[in-house]
Amino acid sequence: MKSITINQLKFAGSLALLTILFRFALSALLSDMQFTWAWVIAAIYSLSVFITGWILGKKDYETLPLYDIGFKFHLITYIECNLIAELWFLLGFQSHFENVKTVHYTALFWGIGLMIHLILFRYSRKGSIKGIEKSELFD
Amino acid sequence: MNEDKLLSELLSAWEDTYKKGQLTLWIFLALKEDKKYVDDIKFFVEEQSRQTMSCEEQSLYRTLRKFQHLGVVDFETGKGNKGPERKYYFLTDLGQTLLAQFIDRNISLFFSYKIKKLLIPEGKS
Repeated sequence: MKSITINQLKFAGSLALLTILFRFALSALLSDMQFTWAWVIAAIYSLSVFITGWILGKKDYETLPLYDIGFKFHLITYIECNLIAELWFLLGFQSHFENVKTVHYTALFWGIGLMIHLILFRYSRKGSIKGIEKSELFD
Repeated sequence: MNEDKLLSELLSAWEDTYKKGQLTLWIFLALKEDKKYVDDIKFFVEEQSRQTMSCEEQSLYRTLRKFQHLGVVDFETGKGNKGPERKYYFLTDLGQTLLAQFIDRNISLFFSYKIKKLLIPEGKS
């Protein structure tokens, strides 16, 4: 079993690009005190990430209906978003209105959510063989 | 509803249910004796099932990818008649054993004398 698929790599690339663009726009808008636009850009970013993940995840599932697809996309999103956010502060690209604590708390609470997802995923795959639900093996 | 129409609709409904899950058996039978590429498998399934089973190429690829992931089917690349290389699929040892045990448990019983007699329409025995 491949640990990462082509569609997951495409998602990782798109997500990195979207996140860097978002971070850049967010910091610029906050520096100009354009708070309403910061919300708008955040909503557009979230929607774009969701749609990209949805399309590529669906393609992945059509290629091979594995249980762990949703979790893998979640894990990629968690790692990339938090890594880029941390780097953003480390390189000093943030605006005056951004606080690194927000990034740390996001990583912490999101991490708890990710752990719950992992537990649910491990629990649900008990009825599967090699990651595919038994009812879908020979359908 | 007249009787002919009822019979036709009942038959279609039964066949739709009966055919679910049959594609696996047909694919395994297609690969039992030799390696085949997708077009060959499709041709075998449709011809040997007397066109009662049909399979789209995309659906076959998806099924074969799943079987390969499970370790019951594998492929090797080889030259096609024209154009690019093709994937020639075959049953692995696990696939061969799985098919043999499935036939033994689910298909062989149709070859018992009593069942065969019941299956053959009257006047044809």
